[in-house]
Amino acid sequence: SSVSLQILFYVNGAYYIFYFLATLAMIVYKSQVFSYPDSFLAPDLALLFIMAILEALRLYLGSKGNLTEEEAPLGLSLVLTVGSALLCVYFLAWQTYVLQADVILGAILLFTYGLESVLEIAAIAAFVS
Amino acid sequence: VAKLCVCDLLVAQCDVNCCCDPDCTAAEFSLFTTCSIPIVTGDSRLCSQKAAIYSLDVEANPPERIFKLIDHINPNVFCIHTANYKQAFSFISPETPTSENFDQLLKQFGSATFSTEFDSWNINPDSQSSSGANETYRYEYGVPIQTVDAFVRLPSPVVSSWCSDANPAGFLVKQATKCSRLVSVEKCSTIQAVSMLFYINSSILAVSMHEFVFQVNITVQSIIVQSLNGMRTLLDSNEVLRLPTVLDELCINIVLGVSYHITYTEAGEIIEAAASFVLGAITKETLSIQQSFEISFTQVNTKPVPLSGNPGYVVGLPVRAGFRPHGYPLSNTDKHGQLTILQSTSNQDCLAAAGARTPVLFGYNMISGCKLRVTAATECQLLAQTLLDLLKGQNFPEYVASFGNSQAQDVLDWVPITHLHTSEQVKFALLLPPSCQIPVSLEIEVQWTKYGSLVNPQARIVNVTATVTSAALNQLPSGRERTVPITSSVVFTDISSPAEPGYKARPTINIKLPFDFFFPFV
Repeated sequence: SSVSLQILFYVNGAYYIFYFLATLAMIVYKSQVFSYPDSFLAPDLALLFIMAILEALRLYLGSKGNLTEEEAPLGLSLVLTVGSALLCVYFLAWQTYVLQADVILGAILLFTYGLESVLEIAAIAAFVS
Repeated sequence: VAKLCVCDLLVAQCDVNCCCDPDCTAAEFSLFTTCSIPIVTGDSRLCSQKAAIYSLDVEANPPERIFKLIDHINPNVFCIHTANYKQAFSFISPETPTSENFDQLLKQFGSATFSTEFDSWNINPDSQSSSGANETYRYEYGVPIQTVDAFVRLPSPVVSSWCSDANPAGFLVKQATKCSRLVSVEKCSTIQAVSMLFYINSSILAVSMHEFVFQVNITVQSIIVQSLNGMRTLLDSNEVLRLPTVLDELCINIVLGVSYHITYTEAGEIIEAAASFVLGAITKETLSIQQSFEISFTQVNTKPVPLSGNPGYVVGLPVRAGFRPHGYPLSNTDKHGQLTILQSTSNQDCLAAAGARTPVLFGYNMISGCKLRVTAATECQLLAQTLLDLLKGQNFPEYVASFGNSQAQDVLDWVPITHLHTSEQVKFALLLPPSCQIPVSLEIEVQWTKYGSLVNPQARIVNVTATVTSAALNQLPSGRERTVPITSSVVFTDISSPAEPGYKARPTINIKLPFDFFFPFV
């Protein structure tokens, strides 16, 4: 089992909680300050919650796969990472209002995903062989 | 951003001190002192945006305008990086009504004002009933008086002077309206609004919105018939319903005026309704008639006395006055004992005046007068008495109500009128032989004060003084005549003391030592 991957999962979990709360707070701020009609607010909030569920699942599967040294959960986690990355890009560029803070937080998260994907591929390669 | 210029107001002309104006030439720029708009940007919440900066370089000779297009960076971490919602920074344009969406827009935004149907008046009882089915609905001020099918209608002019039958009468809202209606002799029996039946047909619901409670029939109180030349006669038998009929090329019994009198109780129920009609006739040449309608309300078991304010006087309403016959409570019927002053007439001759008087309205200072021609033959004593009657009127009251709603039984609420007599030219009294005095002016001074709370002060009359000034009437040589001006005036003076600020009492610190504080020693 890869120690660095495990550490990365742990850090990712903590950072994601911060990211989720910050994005939620900023959506609330945007809805008060800017004109944010309900038809735009609902999809944004829905996607944020979907991303949270996806993230929790992904981290659990990845951590389990890493610790039990099985490829299947790690592979699934890798697939889910792609999904999470897409959602992160949505919140980075395609949201209704993208604030500078959104860009900064999203960039950090995307960088973390990239690092995780590389380490997961390395771990899968190590476990297969 | 480079093309936006808010100070460019004059078309094809250079605006002064407007550095972004495209109509200005370099020579005109050199005459400016400052730039009224130094920077033009878009929404300041965006992270990076173009900004046009205008400034004047006063060092150069002649001064020139400098125009720079830069990128303005917003350092705030919460600036908008991208806005994918395109309408975020502009106003939403409303829907343009077309023939397809007109009905839907009308239903959404139109209300009873623009609807042409009576259906929209029928208040849905489900939507208006509050919790508690046992609650009795009573009429409140302004609520339309309901009848069995619709509302009591008081036709009134809308926009033009033609009658519109859709004006409901409001409870306790005293209204009087006049409007014109198209009539013709041929159609006089078919036009509903000129027949008596239209106005007394449906009975009034005693209590709002309850159909199964008492219904009050509108009784015919009196009928006045107006002939073609305008003479009015009151009919004796007034229970008969007279419908428009054609008689010899005239149509008679056309309703020219209706006057409703509604009697109500304190609980807001209507117990009686009466209508007085004025019926007239029209000829073949009459194209339109003018109808007048009014409605008045009386509380049951009271005699209606028009109030001039509740409780303080309202500016513009007549000052109420009355008499006190020999110790009995005051009487203040509105016809007698009203405080009035002489009304100026067009010919300004005092003796020819018809005795026209105008009521004194609270808060309105008035002055009126007339000219008196004195000849040698005038008898002074008689003249003095006539003038006094002229100035004071027939029934000059003795008491004035201090509040607008003072009742006759509250004697303390009434202020006695103080009478003073002064005479002019006192200094000549020693030189000339005593001649008789004639009153030349009556000045009524009404002193009032603000009473009650600072937020809603009520006007209260404190003092009324009627001063009659007399002047000496010298004997004139025969053949000469003199004109003496006679004036009467009313002045309202505000004697309220200025408001004093009231401060709350300082808080006292209430410390008491316990009884056994010095226990071991005491």
